[in-house]
Amino acid sequence: MSRWFAVSASREIPRGHIAHTQLLGQELAVWRSASGELNAWENRCPHRGVRLTIGSCVGEELRCQYHAWRFASGSGQCTYIPAHPTQKPAATIRARAFPVREDGTFAWVNLAPEAAAAPPPDPGIARALRSMFVQAPVAELRAVLLGGYGQGSVTATDEYTLLGEPDLEFMLQPVSDRQAIVHARLRGHREGAERLAELRHHNALLSAVRDRAEAAA
Amino acid sequence: MITLYDYELSGNCYKVRLLLKMLQVPFTTRALDFHPAREHKSDWFLKLNPLGQLPVIDDDGLLLRDAQAILVYIASRYDDSGVWYPRQDAAALGRISQWLGFADSLTATAGAARLHDTLLQAADIVACRARAHSLLRILDEHLWFAEQEAAGWLCPAEHPSIADLACFPYVMLSEEGGISRLPYPAVRRWGDRVKRLPGFIPMSGIFPAPAA
Repeated sequence: MSRWFAVSASREIPRGHIAHTQLLGQELAVWRSASGELNAWENRCPHRGVRLTIGSCVGEELRCQYHAWRFASGSGQCTYIPAHPTQKPAATIRARAFPVREDGTFAWVNLAPEAAAAPPPDPGIARALRSMFVQAPVAELRAVLLGGYGQGSVTATDEYTLLGEPDLEFMLQPVSDRQAIVHARLRGHREGAERLAELRHHNALLSAVRDRAEAAA
Repeated sequence: MITLYDYELSGNCYKVRLLLKMLQVPFTTRALDFHPAREHKSDWFLKLNPLGQLPVIDDDGLLLRDAQAILVYIASRYDDSGVWYPRQDAAALGRISQWLGFADSLTATAGAARLHDTLLQAADIVACRARAHSLLRILDEHLWFAEQEAAGWLCPAEHPSIADLACFPYVMLSEEGGISRLPYPAVRRWGDRVKRLPGFIPMSGIFPAPAA
C-alpha cells in the first residue's frame, strides 16, 4: 500500500536509538544515526534473519547483534563483515530500507518501495501527545474515536486520519490485524506545567479510547 | 569480601552482579546448578536460605536472601555517594520500595513465563503473560511521563536508583517468555539508558547498547 503512516513522535527516537514498531504486519527497526538521520528498515538482518532491533547503532551504522555485520544509515548497504575484514561487501548485501520522512512532530513511513507521493503536509508548530497502543483492530479504534473525544466531536479526513476539536489531529497506525496505535498532536506551542497538565489530560482521554476499543474488540 | 550464590541465567542474580559492578565492589561467586540439578533446593543450600531461592549473599558472615533486599543492603553499605538508595530522603525511599515490590511482581509474571518457556517449569502461562503485559503497560506510561517531567528513571532524580536495576532484568528478558515489548516504546528507551550506565554488564539475552 503506497500510503504514509505516522509511526512515532520524532523526539521519541533520539540519536543512537533503535525503535521497534510494526506497520500492517511489517516489523520495522526505526533508528536514528549519531548525526540525526532517520531510517525505517525491515527488522531483519539480510545475513541470518535475526531482528535488527537487538543490534546497536554505532555512529552512522547499525550493527547486527549476531555476527556484527554493519549497515549504512540511508542506503542500508552492508559496509563491513568481520569474518572478511579485508573484503568490500557486495553491493547486493543491504538491509531493506523503506521510505521515511519527518515533519515537525512525527516520523512517517511508506511501505511502498518507491513512494512517489509526498507525505501529508507539515502542519507547522505542533506538540505530540503520548501515542496509545491498542490491542484492537484499527477499525475498532477508529469507530470509538468517531464516537467523540472528550467533550468534542471527531471527523474523519480519510481512513487513517481524524480531526478533533480544537486543533487536534489523530493519526492511526495499523500494527497488525488485531493491534493499532493512535498518534495525536495539537497545533501550537505550550510550555512548562501547562504542557504537562495537557499531556496528562489527553493521556487519560486516549486511555479511555483504548479501553473502549479493547472492550469492543 | 562478598560471596554471591549465583546462577548465571537468573535475572535476580544478574541485578545483584550489575549493582556490584556499577559500584566496583569486589565479590566472588559460587555458581549453583539451578537446572537441571535444582541445587537451590539441596540440603546444604536450604540451610543458607530456607526459601530455596537465589540469590543469596554472604558478606563476611552477614547472610542475606531476596534480590531486592540485597540491593538495598549493597547500596546502603557500599555506595558512599548515596545516589542509588538515598537514605535521608523519605519520599525517595518510599518510591523506591514501591518499585521494588513491582520488581517482585515482574519476577512472578514475566520471570515465571520465561522459566516456563526456557526451563519447562510449571506455570499458568496465559495468566503470567497477561499479567506481565498489564505491568508493562503501567511501566511504559510511568516512564513516558518520567521522560517529560524528569530524567527518565523510575524515581524522579537525576541519577537512577536501585529501583531501576531491580525492574530491569525481567523486563528485558520478557521475550524469552513470549511477552513482546513492541507495545512499550518508553520502556525500550529506558532500557537503553540503563545499558549506557557506567559499569553496565550484559547477561545472556540482554545485549549491550554502546553510546551512540
